[in-house]
Amino acid sequence: MQREEKQLEASLDALLNQVADLKNSLGSFIYKLENEYDRLTWFSVIKVPSVLDSFALLSGQLNTLNKVLKHEKTLLFRNQVIIPLVLSPDRDEDLMRQTEGRVPVFSHEVVPDHLRTKPDPEVEEQEKQLTTDAARIGADAAQKQIQSLNKMCSNLLEKINKEERESESGGLRPNKQTFNPADTNALVAAVAFGKGLSNWRPSGKMPSGIKTNIKSASMHPYQR
Amino acid sequence: MQKGVCGGGRAGLALPGLENPELAEGGRDSESRGCTGVSCAYPIGRSVFISVVFHLITVVMEAPPVTMMPVTGGAINMMEYLLQGSVLDHSLESLIHRLRGLCDNMEPETFLDHEMVFLLKGQQASPFVLRARRSMDRAGSPWHLRYLGQPEMGDKNRHALVRNCVDIATSENLTDFLMEMGFRMDHEFVAKGHLFRKGIMKIVVYKIFRILVPGNTDSTEALSLSYLVELSVVAPAGQDMVSDDMRNFAEQLKPLVHLEKIDPKRLM
Repeated sequence: MQREEKQLEASLDALLNQVADLKNSLGSFIYKLENEYDRLTWFSVIKVPSVLDSFALLSGQLNTLNKVLKHEKTLLFRNQVIIPLVLSPDRDEDLMRQTEGRVPVFSHEVVPDHLRTKPDPEVEEQEKQLTTDAARIGADAAQKQIQSLNKMCSNLLEKINKEERESESGGLRPNKQTFNPADTNALVAAVAFGKGLSNWRPSGKMPSGIKTNIKSASMHPYQR
Repeated sequence: MQKGVCGGGRAGLALPGLENPELAEGGRDSESRGCTGVSCAYPIGRSVFISVVFHLITVVMEAPPVTMMPVTGGAINMMEYLLQGSVLDHSLESLIHRLRGLCDNMEPETFLDHEMVFLLKGQQASPFVLRARRSMDRAGSPWHLRYLGQPEMGDKNRHALVRNCVDIATSENLTDFLMEMGFRMDHEFVAKGHLFRKGIMKIVVYKIFRILVPGNTDSTEALSLSYLVELSVVAPAGQDMVSDDMRNFAEQLKPLVHLEKIDPKRLM
């Protein structure tokens, strides 16, 4: 029992942190939308806030939230039950503080929204509609549709990747290519064994510019 | 050759120029900026130099693979880890800009070096190669002599080219001495470019110029429209994690430059 309580507390803490982060990012995104809507763009390369940036951030945080919930040490919250014990129309200062001023009263108006476990009736209706539609198609047809969707997605992804790769290697970018592999090989060969450097020497004879005492190694004076 | 001079051939001769591993490691000594290749500014006397070169030739020409060589006489086997790439002339500025940001904060360093490659043809099929380098823009800096072994191929996981490397600084009569020893100059070139450092990594970006009239370094012509970019580390043998650091650094230079392990034998 005690271990479970500790586990519950720990998982609740983790969940609270994640949700708080998510709330903050959502809040800043809404602020951006309301106040900076004229400067906002969908996508930007430089460090200007863009809509896609915010979406990416939110998506990442939702992912982490999912991971936290799926974590093996996290208690199955589904098994926990919350029941309101006392409802009152009076202001509750404690509640105000804990919810940062958003929920002043724990009354019959607030409870259905905050302790909701099922979706809205309209939403529930739509979901039921969708499920019956899906069941009507039949398993085989559904499978075929899934496969064709996957194929189209992968085709599209391939096309995008190819385009990106080609533009990077110098075709379309204004930067052009910054290096030439043939040059690399030529330079490495030159430094490694003098390819292309000693073309002034006819058939390996001694160059005339250098004065030397020509002694071959086998005739070295120190040799015994 | 008289083996006695080498103190018993392979048994090991103290190489005074390389005793101090710090100096030999990568030119942390700021005074050793004479030539880009210099990794040790430790000028040694002529007689000692002779014995160094003799030792080098006997040891290396008969040597088994580096991994089997005993570490004797206080000399540590240094390996050079290398990654190479190139950048076209018009993109040089962007590369320099990026390197200045990524590398250690120091005064931008340029160099103008003249390198001569000498061959000693012995009874074996492959000649012994030594590289002599001098600085053309820093008067008074020592000459630099370098030996580079065959690249150790085999480990596909190693991300850089690895080869045995011996570096020493010498006096100005290096070429005369090598000629007297029986070496012949095979080719030469002028290298002009920039030098950067990051920790023990050295990054050089330079243009290679062909020398049109042998011995005359004023009449040169550029070999190609690109600059060669080399990332290298000189470290004691066995430190393979160095190549991981090099690969991580090389990633940061993409897509401007693709630094990779290039086997020179493939280009012959």
